[in-house]
Amino acid sequence: MRKTYVSSISFLILLSSGILSAQDTIQFPLKVRAGFDAVGPGIYITDKNNLNIEGFVSKDRNEKMAYVLEGGYSNYKFSQYNFDYLSSGVFARVGVDFNLLKPEVSMGKYWAGIGLRYGLSIYKAETPFYKHENYWGDAASSIPSSGRIGHFLEVAPGVKTELFKNFSMGWTVRLRFLVSGGGGKDLRPIYFPGFGSGGNMVNAGIGYYLTWNIPFKTIRVIKKIELPEETDEEESEVSQQGYR
Amino acid sequence: MRKYLPAVSVIIIFSLTFLGVSCTPEACFEETNAFVKASFYSEEKQVTPDSITLYGLGHETTKIYDRARNVKPALFPINAASDNSVFIIRINGVTDTITFRYSSYPHLISRECGYTFYHIIETPVFTRHIIENIIVNNRNITTVNEENIRIFY
Repeated sequence: MRKTYVSSISFLILLSSGILSAQDTIQFPLKVRAGFDAVGPGIYITDKNNLNIEGFVSKDRNEKMAYVLEGGYSNYKFSQYNFDYLSSGVFARVGVDFNLLKPEVSMGKYWAGIGLRYGLSIYKAETPFYKHENYWGDAASSIPSSGRIGHFLEVAPGVKTELFKNFSMGWTVRLRFLVSGGGGKDLRPIYFPGFGSGGNMVNAGIGYYLTWNIPFKTIRVIKKIELPEETDEEESEVSQQGYR
Repeated sequence: MRKYLPAVSVIIIFSLTFLGVSCTPEACFEETNAFVKASFYSEEKQVTPDSITLYGLGHETTKIYDRARNVKPALFPINAASDNSVFIIRINGVTDTITFRYSSYPHLISRECGYTFYHIIETPVFTRHIIENIIVNNRNITTVNEENIRIFY
């Protein structure tokens, strides 16, 4: 009889803790992700002078933050009446993504937030032909291919959503800030991989990502219960009552 | 977290606007020629000559200045295809020649404008019919609007 009584109490305690956890915590799947950008190949279909292939891997640290490593390859050609320009090379970006959605909304399936990155570009640039015209006539020359290193910072807000199980899509806008493009002040790159136009201190870009997600761990996340904000009317009512 | 969403929205709108602007092709509005910029001095004071005629040797038919007044500063275009440029200059009706020797190197102006040549000049060689002296203030010949030489006459 005593045994039955003890086990009944234990069951009730377990049950009540279960109910409490269902109300106050959620099971949140942490994931590793791998994806690629569809915009670069899309642009290449219409513009064969501009190939940009990039992808990323990321790993959730917790329900709000993920570590991100991005990498890619770019091959760029530009030609106009007074010069030709070529650049090709690889780039990498490393940083973090912050999910601004609440965990109970996100549930590991939806992401709306902002990413911060540091970017490194290792590339070759060449100007096979350029000419300058002035009073004396044309002077033409070339700048041979040389290896360069560029650095930049990036702010990348965006959204992603899981369409099918473990498969998401979404876009990211990229605002890039030039730290150094390589080439010095006279031979700034016209374009370099990962950053874009080296003549600008700030560049913008957009990417559309197809992502494969693999859950690796489930964590219990405490839901933040938002208390209703006290209105001014309520406050004044209370103060009036207190005064009386 | 919700408090950050307006800031993120602003960044997204700004980025998209910036993306639209940066994708728009632009024309070249910048200075593309690196001139030797010369000021004229007489008796230690800056005095603009009454008349200046200037042209490159072998380019008598295409004058840079032809009896021009109030030239301030005079702009000498440099021949990037050579390591020297010779100019015939007529100040108030008296003719001299000025020879610039220099080294040239490429400089990117912008994607729209392309490249130009910058130069580093040596001390110019000149005849002394009306010119008394030439002082080099700044050997770097660029598109920046800075005085490079002073011509005393």
